[in-house]
Amino acid sequence: MARMKFLCDAERCIECNGCVVACKNENEVPWGVNRRRVVVLDDGVPGEKSISVACMHCTDAPCAAVCPVDCFYTTDDGIVLHDKDLCIGCGYCFYACPFGAPQYPQKEAFGVRGKMDKCTFCAGGPGENNSDEEYTKYGRNRIAEGKLPLCAEFCATKALLGGDGDMVADIYRQRVLKRGGRPQTWGWETAYKKAG
Amino acid sequence: MNRRGALTIAALAGTSILTGCWESADVTVHEQGKYKGRGDPLLDAKSTAEREAVLQKRFQLVQADR
Amino acid sequence: MKLIRKNGHAEGGASVAVGMPGEAIGRRTFLRRSGLTMGGAAVAGMLPATMMRKAHADKFAPKAGVATELRRSICTHCSVGCGVIAEVQNGVWTGQEPDFDSPLNLGSHCSKGASVREHGMGSRRLKYPMKLESGKWKRISWDTAIDEIGDQLLSIREQSGPDSVYWLGSAKHNNEQAYLFRKFAAFWGTNNIDHQARICHSTTVAGVANTWGYGAMTNSYNDMHNSKAMLFIGSNAAEAHPVAMQHILRAKENGSKMIVIDPRFTRTAAHADHFVRIRPGTDVGIMWGMLWHIFENNWQDDEYLRQRVYGMDEVRKEVARWTPAETERVTGVDEATCKRAAQIMAENRPGTIVWCMGGTQHTIGNNNTRSYCAFQLALGNIGKTGGGANIFRGHDNVQGATDFCVLSHSLPGYYGLSNGSWGHWSRVWDVDFDWVKSRFSQEKVIGDNGKETMPMNYKGIPVSRWVDGVIEDKANIGQKDNIRAMMLFGHAVNSQTRGEDMKKAMAKLDLMVIIDPYPTHAAVMSDRTDNIYLLPASTQFETSGSVTASNRSLQWRDKIIDPVWESLPDHVIMAKFAKKFGFDKELFKHIKVVNGEPLIEDITREWNKGMWTIGYTGQSPERLKAHAANRHTFNTTTLKAEGGPVDGDYYGLPWPCWGTAEMGHPGTPVLYDTSKPVAEGGLNFRARFGVERNGETLLAEGSYSVGSEIKDGYPEFSDKVLKQLGWWDDLTDEEKKLAEGKNWKTDLSGGIQRVAIKHGCAPFGNAKARVIVWTFPDPVPVHREPLYTPRRDLLSDYATYEDRKRFYRLPTRYGSIQAKDHSKEYPLIFTSGRLVEYEGGGEEQRSTAWLAELQQDMFVEINPADANDRGLKDGQMVWMDTPEGNRIKAKTMVTQRVAPGVVWTPFHFGGWYRGEDLLDKYPAGAAPYVRGDACNTAMTYGYDSVTQMQETKVTLCQVTAA
Repeated sequence: MARMKFLCDAERCIECNGCVVACKNENEVPWGVNRRRVVVLDDGVPGEKSISVACMHCTDAPCAAVCPVDCFYTTDDGIVLHDKDLCIGCGYCFYACPFGAPQYPQKEAFGVRGKMDKCTFCAGGPGENNSDEEYTKYGRNRIAEGKLPLCAEFCATKALLGGDGDMVADIYRQRVLKRGGRPQTWGWETAYKKAG
Repeated sequence: MNRRGALTIAALAGTSILTGCWESADVTVHEQGKYKGRGDPLLDAKSTAEREAVLQKRFQLVQADR
Repeated sequence: MKLIRKNGHAEGGASVAVGMPGEAIGRRTFLRRSGLTMGGAAVAGMLPATMMRKAHADKFAPKAGVATELRRSICTHCSVGCGVIAEVQNGVWTGQEPDFDSPLNLGSHCSKGASVREHGMGSRRLKYPMKLESGKWKRISWDTAIDEIGDQLLSIREQSGPDSVYWLGSAKHNNEQAYLFRKFAAFWGTNNIDHQARICHSTTVAGVANTWGYGAMTNSYNDMHNSKAMLFIGSNAAEAHPVAMQHILRAKENGSKMIVIDPRFTRTAAHADHFVRIRPGTDVGIMWGMLWHIFENNWQDDEYLRQRVYGMDEVRKEVARWTPAETERVTGVDEATCKRAAQIMAENRPGTIVWCMGGTQHTIGNNNTRSYCAFQLALGNIGKTGGGANIFRGHDNVQGATDFCVLSHSLPGYYGLSNGSWGHWSRVWDVDFDWVKSRFSQEKVIGDNGKETMPMNYKGIPVSRWVDGVIEDKANIGQKDNIRAMMLFGHAVNSQTRGEDMKKAMAKLDLMVIIDPYPTHAAVMSDRTDNIYLLPASTQFETSGSVTASNRSLQWRDKIIDPVWESLPDHVIMAKFAKKFGFDKELFKHIKVVNGEPLIEDITREWNKGMWTIGYTGQSPERLKAHAANRHTFNTTTLKAEGGPVDGDYYGLPWPCWGTAEMGHPGTPVLYDTSKPVAEGGLNFRARFGVERNGETLLAEGSYSVGSEIKDGYPEFSDKVLKQLGWWDDLTDEEKKLAEGKNWKTDLSGGIQRVAIKHGCAPFGNAKARVIVWTFPDPVPVHREPLYTPRRDLLSDYATYEDRKRFYRLPTRYGSIQAKDHSKEYPLIFTSGRLVEYEGGGEEQRSTAWLAELQQDMFVEINPADANDRGLKDGQMVWMDTPEGNRIKAKTMVTQRVAPGVVWTPFHFGGWYRGEDLLDKYPAGAAPYVRGDACNTAMTYGYDSVTQMQETKVTLCQVTAA
């Protein structure tokens, strides 16, 4: 069985935030909540790199492991989802997550922490697929429509790939092979340049 | 006694100390790590198999450098 | 319910818990460094948007069990031309899908493209017509608005002549609206019409067209897959043209080398193999510095130069002075860095050059663009797949609006303003030339050349100078009276310089009308309390029509939703005014008007009949729609359809698409590419500048497109040339009737073009490109220091021009400004640029919550050394003061992205003036979410010596803590 995976090709990511906005648009994510973010390293100096980060849908998801109410589940194709009706908004998964993926919408401007919200791989949540209720709580269920996450489908440079992990890996491997012949790339020099 | 058993006893001991001698009967004891929420049609194994080919084709269409 | 955890599965949980503290610290450090922890907290108090979004969103949420329709349009943000697929339920735009069949974007979007559904929500749009009365916005009806505005305009026309009303158009028009707008201004009787191209790529169009014939991108984004080297100068594609980066990075993966020349280490530079940091405004210096190495090492393409280029010897003389030492003295680039860039370009051919605003927006912008061309010609890179001058345009339809000449100096198709040009268009419009003439002021004025001219033949005031058209003493301007009314169709005034002067101009105007989907900065920045009108315009998603991408491909947009609120599409608004002014019968003589809306396809067919110069004649609505329907059949590198109903065509029929639609020309994917027959998209350089000069031929020598029956250079085609060649009888009898006495540009039958192409020839002749433009102030491009320069030591060698008495109707200053030294008080060079989330004046994007959230503050990038010298910390509010007394407030971003001595700001902010938030001056509910001081408020005087392009890339400033 294929496992759904995200991969962000840092050589192609240009920090355009297309993925971030695609997610907001598709899932009506409110202001202040970001299921996906673009992270920049060495901003403004040679070696600058950016990658897009969201829930990575871990095989052995730490969020699920620490959840006190066990609201997480994993589909057979490896998408990690949760039931907001069970979630108590404790924030424990935020500590467990290595990627800072869980988000807590505020109920009021100066309010209490709400229920956890995170990337669903555009697969909605429990309950009937693409029902109004599912959309309101989790956003669009593209997987049920036979489509992949909109962030990856919209990516400006096809840096962010999202789909069957084997296919994602194939594309990435091809690119790495192609780039192999040109060690002038930033990053390549950083990693492999001769000492002195 | 293995380590897990020891932890269990320690935890139970801790609980009884905190709550004194009395414990409410209104308690849900459950297996940790087992999903307790509502069902999702995506969890149906048959739907996953059908989906696989569709999503692979979609990936090729949309995300490959055509 | 209480929960008690049993420890049955504790192993997994325990190990995570134990590992957590270390993990958490690592991640937090990571988050802080990357700015990930900002946002949430910063936003919390600012906007109670969470609840608002919810209620708002419900209306636009997709509903289960409701039929969904897919409609296709083209993104309205930049010139890449990304396909947009909209999901529509019951007329509501509920979702966006990737247009992976489009060969231009393959489904991709940047943040702006991913947000276009917000246009349909219109949360911050203007909702209905309004006027400012005693400082309050008052709702009025469309009829009242047209009546009141129309009466005022007619009375100004009566008192001061038609030139006292300024018609400012937009790169956001589709082609049909752009064409109609130019025609509309002509029928009103003025050349005071212009649009953003003036302040974006006017120096490119002038420089490039005067080098080889056409002033547009020669190749395409897709064609860059074939480049072996890519040189970016003054272009930050990663932020300005993000989806173009897909093609660029694919080229890089194919082995192409990538060079970025820029004052700033941009996000594009982060992907480059070689980065060259120049001092702002020294483009000619670095180009000649590189060319010096090319000539020194004999890397130039001599055979190409002999056959296809005129005047390189004179360029060589100028280049000789740009020794490595001189190049370093002026540009700051050392010999090794400069030589490496030149060598990469020499050793990896074909190579392409990409430039944008960084090169064009200078007092010597036309010199810069011509130096880029000369460099590429020396290497023999023009007219080759993988090579070319890939000039990335800005707005979605700035190429089309330029081609239709929403410009003060020309008629659609770059026909110019001579009586012959007016005659040609009068025939196309089917109106009497004398009637058109009667619409203009009949009083002669003194033109730029000091001779008397009729206003009809005299280029109007450019958008960059409308402010001076209002405030300059009318004795000094080349028209009867000052500008008294501004009609701003889709224009961001915050993209223009000199804030205080603009404010003065706004105060002096009789009337200001803003026709836009948003109120814009113009509605709030002035101190006026009366007589500003806001007319809600629709976006391009609320109408249909064609749009020209940067690569000259035309794409058809379908209407996605009906106009939101009370907004109306631009062409409907024009029709209302035309009716009010009483020339609607003439304007729409061959265009059907249904329920007040001129039929878009009829407009397309009308311009098909007249746009012979640049081949906008073969792109009928039917062909464009067929391309949209079969877009999956086009190759993503060549853009050629492989099989299917449009087999052999190039996607979007990139102009020139010669002859009539029936002739079936496939479009020209690469300009001046002689390796293909003209009938299949091949071409050579245009014979535009005569046939000889100083006894030397200007026609090509031994170079011609494959299949040409004339195996050498030849002049442009006319009835006489056809007769001389004995090809006249290839015309049909009907064609002969229309072609008699005409040439390839004015023959309405298209016969002359058809016959030329049948014999393998380019209708516009076959000449050499020229690198010396003898009609320009600097025939050979030279470096001149910016008006506000910190390098006073260079003025003896590189001073600017002398002041001009009349230039595009206005006095224009150069030397008198440069004469004064401001560099002690204002020691920092101030330059500006793009952010990926915003575009242009940023009105649409700052009003879109999804984008606004990502860039909430106007900021200034300042080098750590300059910040420390001034005791400034990162994120601190500062004042930026410039020599003409303007100032803005911004937040610091301390970064090495800029060099010491240089500060940079984005140019998309507005809604503040001199540090003050103008929120309360917006009509209720129409203020953008994010506001900030506009950098151009503080930008200073300076205009290009050929086109009046404004200088926004170099001035001086001082930064102090606020």
